[in-house]
Amino acid sequence: MNERLVALRDRVRTGAYKAYRQATDLDLVAECEAEQLSWPRRMARLTRRQCEAERVVLGPAERIVFTRTVTTIPTVYRPDDLAELTEGRTLHEGGLLNNVCADWEMALGQGLLGRRRVALDSRARALAAGDAGAIDFLDAAIETIDAVLALAARYAAEARRLGMAEVAAVLEHVPAQRARSFHEALQSLRLLHSVVWLSGHHHVGLGRIDQYLWPYLASDIECGRLDEEAAAELLAEFFISLNRDSELYPGIQRGDNGQTVTLGGVRRDGSDGVNPLTRMALRVAREVELIDPKINLRIGAETNLALLELATELTRKGLGFPQYANDDVVIPALIEHGYAPEDARDYTVAACWEFIVPGRGMDVVNIGAVSFPHAADTAIRAGLAADEPFEAILGRTASEIRRQLRERVESYDRLLWVPAPYYSVLMTGALEAGCDHGSGARYRNLGIHGAAAASAADALAAVRRHVYELGDVDAVELLDGLEEDFAGREPLRRLLVDESPRVGLNDAAADELLRRLYEWFADACEAEATARRIVRPGTGSAMYYLWLAGGAPQEIPEPLVGATADGRHRGEPFSANLAPSPGTRLRGPISVLQSYAGIDYQRVCNGGPITMELSDTVFRGRESIHKVALLVRAFARLGCQQLQLNALSAETLLDAKAHPEAHRDLIVRVWGWSGYFCELAPEYQDHVIARHLHAAA
Amino acid sequence: MTGSLTPRSGIVFDIREFTLHDGPGVRTTVFLKGCPLACTWCHNPEGRQHRSQVIHGTGDSRVVGRRYTADELAVLLLAQAEILRASEGGVTFSGGEPLAQASFVADVIDRLPDVHVVLQTSGYGGLAAFRSLATRSSLVLFDLKLIDPVAHACWTGRDNRPILRNLGQLAQLDRPFVVRVPLVPGVTDTRENLEAIAATLYELPTLPRVELLPYNRAAGGKYAACGMTFEPGFDEDRPLNVDERPFERAGIEVEVA
Repeated sequence: MNERLVALRDRVRTGAYKAYRQATDLDLVAECEAEQLSWPRRMARLTRRQCEAERVVLGPAERIVFTRTVTTIPTVYRPDDLAELTEGRTLHEGGLLNNVCADWEMALGQGLLGRRRVALDSRARALAAGDAGAIDFLDAAIETIDAVLALAARYAAEARRLGMAEVAAVLEHVPAQRARSFHEALQSLRLLHSVVWLSGHHHVGLGRIDQYLWPYLASDIECGRLDEEAAAELLAEFFISLNRDSELYPGIQRGDNGQTVTLGGVRRDGSDGVNPLTRMALRVAREVELIDPKINLRIGAETNLALLELATELTRKGLGFPQYANDDVVIPALIEHGYAPEDARDYTVAACWEFIVPGRGMDVVNIGAVSFPHAADTAIRAGLAADEPFEAILGRTASEIRRQLRERVESYDRLLWVPAPYYSVLMTGALEAGCDHGSGARYRNLGIHGAAAASAADALAAVRRHVYELGDVDAVELLDGLEEDFAGREPLRRLLVDESPRVGLNDAAADELLRRLYEWFADACEAEATARRIVRPGTGSAMYYLWLAGGAPQEIPEPLVGATADGRHRGEPFSANLAPSPGTRLRGPISVLQSYAGIDYQRVCNGGPITMELSDTVFRGRESIHKVALLVRAFARLGCQQLQLNALSAETLLDAKAHPEAHRDLIVRVWGWSGYFCELAPEYQDHVIARHLHAAA
Repeated sequence: MTGSLTPRSGIVFDIREFTLHDGPGVRTTVFLKGCPLACTWCHNPEGRQHRSQVIHGTGDSRVVGRRYTADELAVLLLAQAEILRASEGGVTFSGGEPLAQASFVADVIDRLPDVHVVLQTSGYGGLAAFRSLATRSSLVLFDLKLIDPVAHACWTGRDNRPILRNLGQLAQLDRPFVVRVPLVPGVTDTRENLEAIAATLYELPTLPRVELLPYNRAAGGKYAACGMTFEPGFDEDRPLNVDERPFERAGIEVEVA
């Protein structure tokens, strides 16, 4: 990185941009009421007023501009009126479209004026057809387009005034017109993307940047406008710019903001999509070393090792990415679940892990979690109390999974999206159809995760081994132990922990139960499918690995669990995503991959990674980098779906806990995302430390 | 008389996957329990005794050392043989000292067809045992510590003649092998010892590659848990003499690990 980039990054790290934030306190309700605006028009007015309120910020030496100054998102209805509008409906995370990915390829290729022409054509058709709803939506969309164009024009004029000729020239062309160069494409993307945030949406994904930006870069290189180094500098500046405003982005913890990119994989036609920009993005992310964007890399069994080694060099930085997704598994599974083959091949990764289709998807990929430990635990307690055979406990587990799932899905059948005229401008076909993306998108499925499966499988395996096969544990004694959190029963607890089959050791006695848990889960999801949408079962855990065990900071519908039959004490956390239970004495990553290779990912397709910590000491030297790349390829060849590989030093983490002031820049992967370690709540810090100490042991 | 009808079993103190320093590619290493040497710098004290033992950690205790029949261990390793092979690696037998359980290890290797096997050994053992394992291995990582017999006996508790004899054998077996020299400050890293090792290797019919392994300060970490006292008998803080020149002068390929 050259001096200019280092200075730009320093400004992000020191929070220099916060000085530009302004308190706007816009009151839009009065205006909306006076004009008797519809809901779509109110949302368009919000985008417009937010753009107007933005103050132009042109930082020293910036070549890719836009810095957020407006800090809040105003409301467009009085609370009572909003309550009436949404009564009986489920608003997912506030109801503004989120955790989706726009059709950036189309948006950069058409420019906002191109989109405006499409909207006007559609409007003419709607007028002829007397479709008032479509006219209203399209008028709203046009209002947002004009607002963004006006904002861009103000930036361009100010840049001219300050003598920043290059920035001015770029902004006089984009986002209005089709981008003509890599620089214009990046600037257009920066502004279009920022206004999505400014309009109140969150988890705004960036999708397959190496696919849709490559044509611009390729033509620049071909005609000698850019060389590799100059292109990398622009890309680095774009990556840095994504971190300027992130403290304004909502999330459970800071860093959980869904600014993900997905690299590599096949194109929509099935040909290999890896290109020089794929590799450049991996290198640039390694140099920039910031939280955003979070990198996903699509690979397959035949991906070449040089690319995996490059990705490993990025893992080595300890940022918690790239996260790997296996095309060989993901694409057929999406097709099997009703996604068109060219859309399935075009998948990108949502904020955390879920596979979504850019421009065409409006799936709610995370409607909650089914608590596997709760399902297994209630089944074990009821089954043992009734002196039932083990198969009956399994039957009870399956029913409880079904019950929990139905409860979550039911509330989502009353789902309501707030109109999103601006985001719709950027989506495939919304303006063409005259229909908001929230109601008109091609894919509107639900996704739900099955959390903490390893703990549930371990508990069931322990009961089968000790109560039913060996008979060395008495059912009543076990029930009492669970009830009393093993107080005074340490030998029993140790027996359950040390002498039971456990997930992660390639032991069929536990892995078979893991596989069956997900089968029951998939069965239950299939039973909930309707003609309009399916329910996609997933393997992620989000924050549920802590919440299901120790309680949540807010009210959640998912039930808590006490002590469990795998010997886990009440309150101890579960493992995140697909990872063996904390405390399992593992042989290493091969057996873990093998245990998880048993899940039928053709049925369980929502996403959710196998999560592994490797000590940072593993990454020293070329030979070791090569071996880690081989391990990643083994993951793909075993037919696993997704992999999160983290490089961590326990010493660093412990020191960061003791001396946070010295480690402000330390970034760790938490569940589906990376965050600044020193900004995590203490219980998350402790869990990350425990995970790593265990991995290093 | 042979007792060959009894399934042979062996004792193992650990099985670790993705071990990075035990041969090429992605490997799983089996650590055999029990070692005839007593090197004062040993960093695997739980590998010394030939029987299982209780290790007392700060939180809880656990039994270290598990008996496997050759079939049991082979089944476990075969379950991952394909993926290890596809990842340019295989299985490594280490210790403790594999030669001390040579017939068991040989039985296991015989059950692992087409698996790349690495033997990691101190070289201390009977000639037949050594030949039996070396000929079954794709690569031998052979430790060589001290050439002076008195010093060797002093620091490891054993005579080094069997080791040098086995090294001579190895050089005639047409097996790839690497000689690994642990650099222990003031003990093995002396100019005299490194030159003597280079001279010894120079006499072999085929020149091996040499890896110098700098001393790891964590060596003493596990002694207390094993109920043992770490008494290295040398100054751990003394700067290491990492000197490749004696080997280079003899035309021997050398690298520092």
